Amino acid sequence: MNALSRFAADKTRSAGYGILVVAVILLGVIPLLMESLYSLHILVMVFFYVIAALSLRAIVISGQFPLGHAAFMGVGAYASGMAAKWLHLPPELTIPGAAVFTMIIGVMVAVSFSRLRALYYAMGSLFLGVAIIQILNAGGTWTGGYSGFSGITPMFGNSKVSWYYAALGLMILSAAALYRFEFSRIGTNMKAISQSHLVAESVGINEAKYRILAVAIGSFFVGLAGAGYAHYMGTIATSSYNFMATMWLFMYVLVGGVNNFFGPIVGSFILILIPEYFRSLKTYSPFISAGILFLFVYLMPGGFAGLIQAAVARVKSWRRERARDVAAD
Amino acid sequence: MLLQIDNLTKRFGGLTAVDGFNAYVDEGEVVGLIGPNGAGKSTVFNLVTGVFPPTSGRVFFDGEDITRKKPHTVAELGIGRTFQMNLLFADFTVLENVSASSHVYPRSSLFDMYFNTRRYRRNEAEISDRALQILQLLGLESYKDELAKNLPHGYQKMLGVARALATKPKLLMLDEPLGGMNPSEIDFSLQAISNARDSGVTVLIVEHNMQILSLCDRVVVISFGQKICEGSPREVRENEEVISAYFGGKHGSA
Repeated sequence: MNALSRFAADKTRSAGYGILVVAVILLGVIPLLMESLYSLHILVMVFFYVIAALSLRAIVISGQFPLGHAAFMGVGAYASGMAAKWLHLPPELTIPGAAVFTMIIGVMVAVSFSRLRALYYAMGSLFLGVAIIQILNAGGTWTGGYSGFSGITPMFGNSKVSWYYAALGLMILSAAALYRFEFSRIGTNMKAISQSHLVAESVGINEAKYRILAVAIGSFFVGLAGAGYAHYMGTIATSSYNFMATMWLFMYVLVGGVNNFFGPIVGSFILILIPEYFRSLKTYSPFISAGILFLFVYLMPGGFAGLIQAAVARVKSWRRERARDVAAD
Repeated sequence: MLLQIDNLTKRFGGLTAVDGFNAYVDEGEVVGLIGPNGAGKSTVFNLVTGVFPPTSGRVFFDGEDITRKKPHTVAELGIGRTFQMNLLFADFTVLENVSASSHVYPRSSLFDMYFNTRRYRRNEAEISDRALQILQLLGLESYKDELAKNLPHGYQKMLGVARALATKPKLLMLDEPLGGMNPSEIDFSLQAISNARDSGVTVLIVEHNMQILSLCDRVVVISFGQKICEGSPREVRENEEVISAYFGGKHGSA
């Protein structure tokens, strides 16, 4: 890397940090500017779903496609909700506890699935997700069954503004924790396995270990998101964690851009906020969501983050050319 | 003796791919394992590196029984390998391919990796230096920022050698390093492999291209899963049985 391109890389990096800081500050002042509690409510939901989408991507980069991922959000939600309601434990304890519980279930599944690859893994996790939902449905009074689970211990006196900052903080912490995983050798090893497990094994990377680790990380954070969300909502139902819910998580990741860490964040914001904006159209709103999806898949195969990356690359090459012209003069 | 293959047999259903095969590799040697297509060379290769377990027989490496060890354990113990097909970390650059392959040496724990400890930073700095040295050794340094999938075939194969060297192996096992190459790529690759040998690593080469003989100290010939001949490259080249295995029938009738 020559001095010039290093300079350009440093500049893009600091520009990236700048954007990040501005975004966090903006999100921080929104409750002061916005009157509508409903808008705050939507944003709190977005924050929880950002954690869930990031956790999904943490598994996807290791080359595994967990089609039952949303069911693990349900595991976290029900575990924390049930522990708080029936055992009268404080939510401050049950939320991290539920995240750890979800992680343990995830690891048990990952160990038994560690020989399954590609389509077989996807099928296995799909059926597992269905099974989890059925178990929760069959829970009688303990889980509320098909009619949903209500009366989950509230937090922060149900204040929307407090919840807003709590969820925002949880999202930023989770994102930072996951960022470290991806941009250390741990993430490199996972990406190596996803590109060729044979080569990865041949250079000494233990495939099973890193695949299980990816699922452990992903399950922990999706359990965390599910648990937080359950206490925020107060009432949950298994239909929020079925196969369709997993598909939505995949959409958030794909529309944002699967090759970029920030993809799931951008994707969750776009895909939750835009349908909300068109909510007044009632029946037609799903058509708009579908239309947006088509547009993204058709026009931006790299997702939204891919579009930004392409733009940055173009600016960089333009700047390099200009520097070369200046040098030639 | 660095590698010892003892009475190795592998059956796939009714087919006996490797049948009571014996061989050894001494430290510092370059050994060629040659034979016609379908002779069982690659099967021996995969048995040694732990891709699948043998039906019977044993493999010893550096005094240790590695017979049923997993591929990543075999790599940790010091066998670096390449693949016959061009398997790559396709979306990594050439340099990233090599540094991602430096997982075994120098070693960082998960804790070091996650918390970016001083040891981890020192290891990573050493890894990027070594990766560049390896690319220079094999003549790939001008491609270091290229995506691996965009390299020409021959260079992808040499990238495989670079990746294997990144594991700091005691034994380098090359599976058909000249397969599918044009003459200029073959020249480039022979040079790269001899550079690797001169850096002091022991090499076992599986190949059916006889041009590889120029690099070998000793050659083992395998046909129908059995060893038919062993000796210096010249002895092997003149051996009647080898000639008939390669050309079919008796010498002169082919």
